[in-house]
Amino acid sequence: MDTYYRNGSSRSRASSSLSDNDPRAKIKDCCRKVVAFMFTQVGLGALVFGYTLIGAVSFMNLEKKGNNTEPDEIQFHRKKYMVQLYKVALKNNIFDEKNFSIDTDRVLKNYQDKVVEIFKHGYSEYSTSDIWTFPAALMFSLSVITMIGYGNLVPKTNYGKLVAVIYALFGIPLYILFFLNVGDALAGVFRWIYKKLYRCSTQPDEESDLPPKRIIVPSSACVWVMVLYVLAGAGAFWAWEGWEYLDSVYFCATSLCKIGMGDFVPGKNILSPTEGDQTKLVISYVYIFFGLGLVAMCYNLMREEIREKVKNIQEDFNQCLEDTRTRIIACCNKIRGIEDVYY
Amino acid sequence: MERRKSVRRQRKNTRPWLKKCKEFLRQFIAFLFSNVGIILLVGGYTIAGSFIFMTIEGKHKLKLKEEVLNNRTIFAEKLWNITFDLNQRVMEREHFNNSITELLILYQKIVVNFTRRGYDGTDDLTSSAQWSFAGAFLYSLTVITTIGYGNIYPRTPEGKIATIVYAIIGMPLFLLYLSNIGDIMARSFKWIYAKCCLCRCCPGVAKRRAIRKIRREQKMQADYDSDEEASEISSESIEVTVSIPPVGPRDSIVSEAVTEELETDVQNIPVPVTVCLAIMVGYICSGALLFCKWEEHWSFMDASYFCFISLSTIGFGDLVPGDKIYGRGRDFYSEVLEISFVFCSIYLMMGMALIAMCFNLMQEEVIHKIQTTIRTVKYILRCNR
Repeated sequence: MDTYYRNGSSRSRASSSLSDNDPRAKIKDCCRKVVAFMFTQVGLGALVFGYTLIGAVSFMNLEKKGNNTEPDEIQFHRKKYMVQLYKVALKNNIFDEKNFSIDTDRVLKNYQDKVVEIFKHGYSEYSTSDIWTFPAALMFSLSVITMIGYGNLVPKTNYGKLVAVIYALFGIPLYILFFLNVGDALAGVFRWIYKKLYRCSTQPDEESDLPPKRIIVPSSACVWVMVLYVLAGAGAFWAWEGWEYLDSVYFCATSLCKIGMGDFVPGKNILSPTEGDQTKLVISYVYIFFGLGLVAMCYNLMREEIREKVKNIQEDFNQCLEDTRTRIIACCNKIRGIEDVYY
Repeated sequence: MERRKSVRRQRKNTRPWLKKCKEFLRQFIAFLFSNVGIILLVGGYTIAGSFIFMTIEGKHKLKLKEEVLNNRTIFAEKLWNITFDLNQRVMEREHFNNSITELLILYQKIVVNFTRRGYDGTDDLTSSAQWSFAGAFLYSLTVITTIGYGNIYPRTPEGKIATIVYAIIGMPLFLLYLSNIGDIMARSFKWIYAKCCLCRCCPGVAKRRAIRKIRREQKMQADYDSDEEASEISSESIEVTVSIPPVGPRDSIVSEAVTEELETDVQNIPVPVTVCLAIMVGYICSGALLFCKWEEHWSFMDASYFCFISLSTIGFGDLVPGDKIYGRGRDFYSEVLEISFVFCSIYLMMGMALIAMCFNLMQEEVIHKIQTTIRTVKYILRCNR
């Protein structure tokens, strides 16, 4: 950070002291801009990325130490229900199939309830070191600091929980800073592209138009960008994961809205690491990272337009009020005039 | 309403104190329309959402549950076969246990897979047990607040589309609610803080404090002046003057300044960051205490973890109030479920507004502090050069 300030201040002074026509000044200015950009946008992005990397490593190490108690628990219950089944078999040993099946059904139902309950505590047939692979931990730390929170992978140990809380405390402000910054930068780029396109398309017929007219990117363009991004992502997930198309759209939309239900998560293979490859997880990480940047951009662009529109509406409303007021006054005056004539 | 107001206005226009009253009334109505209106809007939107999701999802028959039932009967039959087989020979306990353990392990795997695909543990063929009013209410709340626990989620395609549309409309609404309520709460909190904590109501304390403050300012001003004179010689004056913050009038009489200080708006008093942080921590801890009394299995640590994860809108959904009670169709439990759901949703709404308030209060001070540090860093760097 210190170097940034030193660079920025010295360069700014240098560029201002030199004459404007000098090409060296221009180059220096350009350099300064690049450095500033690197430090603000790229640097922040790298910071966020590094933060997720650190988080991934630390969570991996913390959670791998924790052991699953659930399989033991389930084994204990299995033994208990086996004894019950044996009792049932002894009781209905007189070839009474109907009674036997009723009793067995009851026992099995109880067992099933137990299994479901233990599953909700977080049962998994794989050991913690299989679950907490590096890509999965990376996805987890991203989901924490972006507030998505899928919840398919959660810290089980007390230390893990504590670290998750602290990690979120520092990560969320960092992420919000990144969000705002990237939104600004992307919005600038998008606006520039839009302006170029707009000029290209309208130059031949509008030569006489006022040049300083402000061009505001319409919100429909942002909406189109978002919709395309979601649909493209959905297509990719549809192809990889074998979900239905609607499900993939649902996944992309809920992820980019930061809701993160967690009913669909790329790589169910997190839970069965032998099946899927972890590259998909990394790709979906990148997809979500960029998607959130795009959301920030749209937020930035739309805010501008909505402000403009609200201002317009307010002006219209005020004018309308003024209009009606003057009309009413005129009307009253007229009535008074008529009354005066009457009496 | 409008007419009554106007009538009152006409009748009591002459007296001056009534003007105040009228002004107050107008402000009150504006407040009702802007702020209470938005609370009602959010509440109504959530209730509407819960009805929509209830109707869409509640009647949906799950194929999964049929499969679970079939699966169970198949296993019962298998068990019968084993018993029958063993009965032909001598009924040995050891042998029986071995074969049954194998079967049970297989059964367990199948059940786990069903649960992973979304089986909730009840034999009720529709998913109406999950999508009770309270459940659907909490679901719509978690969608618009972007918490998204994921303990309940839509299964039908219509439900998924409805969720997307609902979220797209609901999230801006909720953000509006947050910014509005945060603003109001910040203002009222500032007022309370100024009146109660700083003892602005009793004039003696305030006077003494103001005098102390002014003296300190004067001292600082003197220091700054000497600094300025020294630095003006060494480096460019323009840069330096930027770095000096505006300070109040030095040579004004103390008593005059005191009255000025007392009359300044209550809204200008900064609330320290530590107070905001204390409020947030206190809110999380009190919520955690309540939840760990409410839920049998939660420790205090778990409950505070839940509160933090919910209020920061991460929402893993590994711990959800009332989640363990799912799957028992009994009336008593379902009642408890409803109450804890309602409590949870109120806690969430209040907590998010509180956090918005704290952000509102902290924003100015944090920005100010960052700016001053940047300024000082720049200043120091320039001096060194």
